Amino acid sequence: MSDINLKIDGKNLTVPKGTNIFMAAKNNGIYIPGLCYHPKLTQYGGCRLCMVEVTERGKSKHRFSCAQPVSEGMEVKTKTPEVEKYTKSVMEYLLAHHPLDCPTCDKSGECGLQDVTHDLKLSAGRFKTARLDEPMKRDNPLLEYNTNRCILCGRCVKVCKEIEGVGAIDYQNRGFKTVIGTAFNKPLDCSFCGGCVSVCPTGSWQDRTLKFRARPWELKKTPTICTYCAVGCTVVINSKKNQVMRITSDDDLGINEGNLCVKGKFGHEFINSSRRVETPLIRKIGILCPASWEEALDHVSKKFSEIMDVHGGKAIGGLGSEKCTNEDNYLFQKFCRTVLGTNNIDNISNIKSPSLNRLIQVSIKNRIVATSLEEIEKADTIFFVGADVTEAHPVVGSMARKAIRLNKTKLIVANARNIEFNSVARKDIRLNYNLGTQTILINTLIKIIVDEKLVDLGKVESSTENFKELRSLLKASDMGIRKASKLTNVSEDAIKSTSDLLAKSGKCYIICGKDIEEDPLAKDTIKALLNLCALINAGGSDKVSLVFSRVNNNSQGVNDMGVVPDFLPGYLDINDQSNRKTVEGSWGVKLSDDVSMKDTEDVFDLASSGKIKALYVMGENPIVSYPNGKKVKDAFKKVGFVVVQDNFLTETAQLADVVLPTSTYVEKEGTFTNMGMTVQRLNKVIEQVGNSKPDWQIVCDLAKKMGHSYSYTSPKQIMEEVGNSVPIYKGIENSDLAKEGFRWVSSVYNKSEPVKYRFEISESKLTDIKKSKEYPFVLLTGSSLRHQGTYSRNSSSLVSLASECFVEINRNNAQKVNIADGDMVKIESAQDKIQLKAKTTNRVPEGAVFVSEDYEWAPINNLRVNGYTNIKISKVK
Amino acid sequence: MSNGTKSKKTKTKAESSGNGNKSVISVCMGTGGIAAGGDKVFARFEKEIKSKKLDTALGKRVCKTAKTGCRGLCARDVLVDVTVPGKEALTYERVTVDMVSQIVEDHLVNNTPVKKWLAKDDYHKFHDNQQRLVLGNCGTIDPENIDEYTIKGGYKALEKVLTKMTPKEVIDEVSKAGLRGRGGGGFETGWKWESCAKYDADEKFIICNGDEGDPGAFMDRSIMEGDPHAVLEGMIIGGYAIGATKGYIYVRAEYPLAVERLHIAIRQAKENGFLGENILNSNYSLDIVIKEGAGAFVCGESTALQYSIEGKRGMPRTRPPQSVEAGLWDKPTCLNNVETFANVPIIINRGAKWYSKIGTEKSKGTKIFALTGNVKNTGLIEVPMGITIREIVFDIGGGIPKKKKFKAVQIGGPSGGCLPESLLDKPIDFESLLEAGAMMGSGSLVVVDETTCMVDMARFFLAFCASESCGKCPPCRVGTTLMLDILIRITQGEGKEEDLDVLEQMSDEINTMSLCGLGQSAPNPIVSTLRYFRDEYLAHIRDKECPTATCVALHKYTVIPDKCTKCTLCIRNCPVNAISGSKDEVAFIDREKCILCNLCYEKCNFMAIK
Repeated sequence: MSDINLKIDGKNLTVPKGTNIFMAAKNNGIYIPGLCYHPKLTQYGGCRLCMVEVTERGKSKHRFSCAQPVSEGMEVKTKTPEVEKYTKSVMEYLLAHHPLDCPTCDKSGECGLQDVTHDLKLSAGRFKTARLDEPMKRDNPLLEYNTNRCILCGRCVKVCKEIEGVGAIDYQNRGFKTVIGTAFNKPLDCSFCGGCVSVCPTGSWQDRTLKFRARPWELKKTPTICTYCAVGCTVVINSKKNQVMRITSDDDLGINEGNLCVKGKFGHEFINSSRRVETPLIRKIGILCPASWEEALDHVSKKFSEIMDVHGGKAIGGLGSEKCTNEDNYLFQKFCRTVLGTNNIDNISNIKSPSLNRLIQVSIKNRIVATSLEEIEKADTIFFVGADVTEAHPVVGSMARKAIRLNKTKLIVANARNIEFNSVARKDIRLNYNLGTQTILINTLIKIIVDEKLVDLGKVESSTENFKELRSLLKASDMGIRKASKLTNVSEDAIKSTSDLLAKSGKCYIICGKDIEEDPLAKDTIKALLNLCALINAGGSDKVSLVFSRVNNNSQGVNDMGVVPDFLPGYLDINDQSNRKTVEGSWGVKLSDDVSMKDTEDVFDLASSGKIKALYVMGENPIVSYPNGKKVKDAFKKVGFVVVQDNFLTETAQLADVVLPTSTYVEKEGTFTNMGMTVQRLNKVIEQVGNSKPDWQIVCDLAKKMGHSYSYTSPKQIMEEVGNSVPIYKGIENSDLAKEGFRWVSSVYNKSEPVKYRFEISESKLTDIKKSKEYPFVLLTGSSLRHQGTYSRNSSSLVSLASECFVEINRNNAQKVNIADGDMVKIESAQDKIQLKAKTTNRVPEGAVFVSEDYEWAPINNLRVNGYTNIKISKVK
Repeated sequence: MSNGTKSKKTKTKAESSGNGNKSVISVCMGTGGIAAGGDKVFARFEKEIKSKKLDTALGKRVCKTAKTGCRGLCARDVLVDVTVPGKEALTYERVTVDMVSQIVEDHLVNNTPVKKWLAKDDYHKFHDNQQRLVLGNCGTIDPENIDEYTIKGGYKALEKVLTKMTPKEVIDEVSKAGLRGRGGGGFETGWKWESCAKYDADEKFIICNGDEGDPGAFMDRSIMEGDPHAVLEGMIIGGYAIGATKGYIYVRAEYPLAVERLHIAIRQAKENGFLGENILNSNYSLDIVIKEGAGAFVCGESTALQYSIEGKRGMPRTRPPQSVEAGLWDKPTCLNNVETFANVPIIINRGAKWYSKIGTEKSKGTKIFALTGNVKNTGLIEVPMGITIREIVFDIGGGIPKKKKFKAVQIGGPSGGCLPESLLDKPIDFESLLEAGAMMGSGSLVVVDETTCMVDMARFFLAFCASESCGKCPPCRVGTTLMLDILIRITQGEGKEEDLDVLEQMSDEINTMSLCGLGQSAPNPIVSTLRYFRDEYLAHIRDKECPTATCVALHKYTVIPDKCTKCTLCIRNCPVNAISGSKDEVAFIDREKCILCNLCYEKCNFMAIK
């Protein structure tokens, strides 16, 4: 990429070849008016405002700067009398066509038209106006479209098509009557990412959650990290007088290039919701009554001390939070281990995928893990394994689409369900395998790559261990492509194409999804996946980057911080004496000897069996989210004392003995770690709502009450301790988190030597997913785009948008049992039943149904058991 | 089926079925001819010939009916040529179904042409002044029969190119001939082919632009209907020159006959080895596909057309990159007009030197024009470049009918301009027309006489552009509508003098700032009418009068007292009681009350109202 030297307005500049004049000027502080060009979208050239005078090879001509690439020696003038005359005339045309809504238009103050009018110093125009008279389009609770204000810059159409991959809006009609609309003028039905609002330069697309409560110039804008999924987008909170009004984005901050999703952008109403828990609550005579902090903390400390005296610290169980900050979680586990003296702590993500943390450590040791999420934008091949990116991590989807659009990246999507992922990928392979056959599929891919020598096997042999054994096992195995194809129900062609593609994949970016990680077969499947990655990495000339999906904004962090029974912070094996000694040294406390075994019994098992007498729950709602509703309800019933720290009176809080009100992510400081292992800093936006306190503060106060000196005054201090004592986060205290996230995997890679991968041999077992005549369907669950737990449930606009939780049933199955789309059905397992509306679709395979886990008011976990849950469905009359 | 032998076979077949022994009756079956009843006439001829057993009996004189394309003088449709072996072809004009049996009886059976129905002298004069190169086959061959094309030397140019010339040589020949694009751009064809040929890609496309959206233009239609193989031959040669892997012909859906005939031609060309894999054993392969338009004028613009083929909305895009570098599906693409392609076989067959002798220094060859409007001989003409407008209008066109005076000629359709009488001696070529404020355009020539209001005409063309605007850029989308508003106000008598200055400023702005040719040329009719007919505008504005009494809003109804017979018919019928008078008093129209409904004018039997 050579650089080009040119002059703009007399200023000498050097820019990369291929840059257009508009961006060359913008990046060097020179202003050229323009309303349709946007650096993250394809060029359009429709607004005709970016005219400049260009002199090339002695000839001067007018050119439109967004369409013109720079050339060596070019001289550009952005402000000649002619250029001004003509661009002013174009603005005049736009304004003649634009309604005079400024006084009542929400965009006033941040409007592109206003800005350019001001910059060009326009005055009264020559024309009588010629306007459209269309009604406002308000067919959904989040977005409104005012046709009359639209200048047809085309940005919204492009965002929807190119970045989001949905294409819900496009041009209609022609000439003066051109408008933006949906197909057949149906109500807007898209992913509601809000991209259209962020790129609209006029007041056409508006965010309805603002509800006209503030003018743009009154809003304080604070960037922070989103509190929903594990991508960790930077959101800009717009607040006025301690109220959050709306969320916007900034293309230059964070990892998401200004892209958001429906939850991140519109799911903010929970923050100032009147349903927030305002004061601490103590259960007196069976009812939760308001109390002071003093009272509440006293009560808790007394109760905890009692139980510790009688049954020992290990009788208290702690549940950390996938939503709280690293600082909150670090202190929580430290408190549990040092003050309470218990190792019976855990978090839901670890309970759902118990082998995941260990396998991630193995992957990191072998340098297979990606150093960041943003790397996906440079990939040559993208492989989603058991990952429903469109629903679970939509902004990663947009990043993937960017790679596909700019680099012609190839795509493989493997899932038991026929999930949706839209892109313009020319090479797009879909592998819809039978449920339970994912390990067989991956092992078959390995077999083909080895058998057909699609990678340099000599290189593999010399740079790994145990490869010979793997080869002989593969040779001996009778699982050839034909048999595998039959078992998995994936065509031989597709399997073969995938092997070919993976073997020569260039930079291969793999996302291992929830459907793999939370499946009963997770361990075997992930091990097979690691084998595959190592094979490609070692034998090809290329790089594999593997990402393990996480569900929540700090699901990674809560595990990093050691809120798990078997690791100390930083994945130090708790059973290793030297680790414990080191930690004891830095904490100045002796740790309990009761370490949990690596297997089976989790905190709630222990509670159910009476071994745990008290539960301390931070920022979680396990009654609804623990994947076995019956068990967790039993546990709570059995346990004698429950303390819940949360923002809302959730189902779990309603069963508590003490409820402590906590602050949300905009009311405190701290850090979140996303699933790309990047630690990003929050910024405090508003003061604590009501009497709430940040979780770390509560833990400190409680520790103090119980006689320990937890003298942390800020999350910064906590993070300093983390940086010093948690090896993987070492160095974080020195990095400027305000500028850039701390990539701890990168840091680990920098400090350690690569290790030879050791192939783990495991048979491709065929799991028999038992189904009975009585319960003929398997229940599949997963993430959904529009909701996630307590926060979205308390955001009225999101609830208004998606108020129903559906059960997705395969069309053929539905027909056989006479269920039509929209019918009310009862789905029942041996544990429990629930009534939901049916959605007939081809996205779910036959013999299975899908229900989202994210609708708190439709708790599907009540039906679930460990392993696969079998259910039956019937129509409700 | 090997290609080589097949073409030989068809030749002999053509020869044997040649017209040596048969009388041939050719009926004009272009769209114009069919509109005039040509298909009924044709059917009647068939019936008569069959009933009189003329195709079997009468020994040597056997008759055959044939469909041909447009012969040009559409004003005289239905045109029928009767060719008796040994004699010259005689043309009957304005043939109706009733005339058929007599023609058959007299001319064919009894060998006596029906003199009174033969075409008059001016028909021949019409043709004499033309040079029908491209239209040579139109009207003389059956466009649905490839043999008639090959017999006349069709596909010989292709054979020559594929067997004896390299792509570079083809480009050089076309460049030397000086062929320029006939679609309106006037871009040097050889240069365009050269700039596309230099790009290497796995796919390259050659496109024929048959969208012909200009109102009043039907040149391309006639070529596609009357001689589709000429277009194909030109395209295949062009494809070879640039290295195209696939060809598209974009035809507007409003030309169903052209679409049908092109389909037939493509099929026949393939069957005969002139199209498809390994054409004429040359190793060059080309496939041509027809894509129909969907009713948008803007899709005649090169980049919008390409988006339309891709299935997207037809909105033009900015350049760079030029289409020759990255066009259809981002591959090198060369787009040419129908007539341009039809010129190519002629150049290859007769040579660049011969071709460049026709026309002027900078505009070589002939141009086909669609002559319409207030002129006697409306129809399709083909003239060498350099001919003056006066010759076209008066010699070929026969002058203005009904003894009216010539006022102006609009050249180039809605993107063109009008030329007044003073410029009648301007030669037709690209440069001089531009100088005069008009443009060659695709070739529509609309003649208007003294009864046409120039303001209204400008309004008409501007309204066309405004409604066909794609909507992408503000100058065209908003600007043309705003200009139209001003023009409409002027035609309604609400114009102000500043409006003319504003119109001129806006024309300049819209021309400079529009993204594509549609917007850039939309103000042309206004600019040229303002330049040459400014007084008409001023009359509309200052005097609130339309000099030609066309603009309805400016009509002023008055009674001519001498002619009024006091019949009171108008008074009784006036819907707003604006007329006073009685059996004794002459009628008088109160202009304040008059709503310009025209009823009194229609009712008066004595022409006493004007």
